[in-house]
Amino acid sequence: MAEPFLNEKHRVLRRSVRAFCEQELAPIAAQIDQEARFPWEVMERMGPLGYFGIQAPLEFGGAGLDSLSYAITIEEVSRVSGAIGLCLSVHNSVALYPILAFGSPEQHQRWVPALAKGQKIGAFCLTEPNAGSDAAGITATALDQGEHWLVNANKVFVTNGGVADTCLIFVRTDPDAGPRGISVVVAERGTPGFVVGDLEDLCGMRANPVASIRLYDCRIPKDNLLGKTGMGLKIGLAALDTGRVGIAAQALGIAQAALDASVSYANQRRQFGVPLGRHQAIQMMIADMATQVDAARMMVYRAAWLKDQKQPVTLAAAQAKLFAAEAAGQVTDLAVQIHGGYGYSKAYAVERYFRDARVTRIYEGTSEVHRMVVARETLQGK
Amino acid sequence: MSVHIIVCIKSVAKSAPRGVARRTPENSELNPFDRPALEAALQIKAQLGGSVTVLTMGPPVSMEVLAEAQAMGADKAVLVSDRALAESDTLVTSKVLVAAIKKIGRFDLLLFGTRTADSDTGQVGPQTAALLDIGFVSRIKEIDTKEGGWEIKRTIDAWEERWHIDAPAAATVDARAFHPRPVGLVGISQFYVQPDVAQWSLTDLQLMPQEVGLSGSPTRVAALEKIKRNRKCEMLAGEPQAQVENLIARLTARGALE
Repeated sequence: MAEPFLNEKHRVLRRSVRAFCEQELAPIAAQIDQEARFPWEVMERMGPLGYFGIQAPLEFGGAGLDSLSYAITIEEVSRVSGAIGLCLSVHNSVALYPILAFGSPEQHQRWVPALAKGQKIGAFCLTEPNAGSDAAGITATALDQGEHWLVNANKVFVTNGGVADTCLIFVRTDPDAGPRGISVVVAERGTPGFVVGDLEDLCGMRANPVASIRLYDCRIPKDNLLGKTGMGLKIGLAALDTGRVGIAAQALGIAQAALDASVSYANQRRQFGVPLGRHQAIQMMIADMATQVDAARMMVYRAAWLKDQKQPVTLAAAQAKLFAAEAAGQVTDLAVQIHGGYGYSKAYAVERYFRDARVTRIYEGTSEVHRMVVARETLQGK
Repeated sequence: MSVHIIVCIKSVAKSAPRGVARRTPENSELNPFDRPALEAALQIKAQLGGSVTVLTMGPPVSMEVLAEAQAMGADKAVLVSDRALAESDTLVTSKVLVAAIKKIGRFDLLLFGTRTADSDTGQVGPQTAALLDIGFVSRIKEIDTKEGGWEIKRTIDAWEERWHIDAPAAATVDARAFHPRPVGLVGISQFYVQPDVAQWSLTDLQLMPQEVGLSGSPTRVAALEKIKRNRKCEMLAGEPQAQVENLIARLTARGALE
């Protein structure tokens, strides 16, 4: 079907990303999931092509593309490997983007080129053992000691944590100021006191090196503060608004993969003398899956389009992420069902899509949090 | 040393459910056989210096393949497009390409893919070379400069041939000889920042409508009929060992095994 939001550039982009992913990532996607291995050999090839700086300015070595291009890229990568789509989405939208949006020109020079070219990988460190959805409940601290911040932090479930060099750490610079006392400092791997914890052993997205990142009396240079003190919440929300489009696109890609696999299987597998696709029960499932995926696509692209139009995107992004993640859950669940026993076996890809989809309803804002956002935006002033 | 290489590429239809290939934005792509030709050109340019011009004749959607080619590293792009060109056969296509090549100017090497994924004739490369009256070698595997010309390697069966060909020369590139580089996001973005494609119609090439299209084509596809394959399915009986022996005997009898 023709797409209302996309132009020629987006078509060319989609074809090129798909071709690269099918050539380089698809042959190893199942294996890296099984082994929980981050495929450096492919990531290193993605850097010069612009995958790590999709929207970063060309002069920094990024690709300087728009939000729709970003959504399409993440969608196509995630269609082949949700874990790698996740890596790129987090790197681009919640690590690199906040530095571009809130950093000083000097900070741009310091961090952006290496991140945009994929020479370094970024991460977003907010969640703590006792602060998930309740982000304002973080207890990490940054004490002003003149020349540097003394940072103590215990950040968990950091996507890309096991390989990240440049980490945005959310800390309390003013313990008495509540949410307004939260700031963001950029900490670099290799700084004394910066410890990367063990990799998490997760149900899905297993090729992504999720780990804890702990800072023990870590001295972070004063000018590693992003923006001003007290801007942490603002930076976090802006980052997550952008991140939502990426994660929604990721969920969409996974759902599309599950749908494609199910269509292919339903056309080949025969039971009771006919292909599965001739049985109404299967037809009803495929119809629901196709409609869900298409609706999710329209919402994701619309949110990206609004961003490109420089319009407020909070509501659209929250809805897109909520819908796409829930759709991915339903579509991947039906995909396993359509495949029957084979859907439960690692010999087929659908069980990986099913496992990968599950977390999309949890991270970058749980579905419950997004419902709160949508309710608030919908009910206010009416 | 600095060389100018022209690579002719084509936007091809991805699928043709009724046999007729219709190129639309949703159903077109860069001819997979052209990518190794592009790669060869880019490698020669990297080695010797110079420039690569990509040329395509086709409907407006062909702009997309020029975008990919420039994203890969081609320097200049030319699109020859005109309604009157529709339904041109390979000879007309070659004549049009020749007119465009002459307008582009001096070149040292003219490269093509071995064939297209939608028409599969393999004729345009050699026909264009013949009309230009320049030397042509098919399915080149390696190429290097050599005193006023090119040294080319190609293989036939168990033999490797080494050819010398004077410049300017034309060649089709063996699809397995050059592994095409991926099209990157940076390249695509740079193209669309300021698309720089020369667009020529028939008048720009001083060609008349009656020389091209269906009326100008000495060959035309008269009919298309889908081949029906009658497949027989036979279930072999007995224990697996017996079935295997039966199968081997049958395959040997048919010449599939020795």
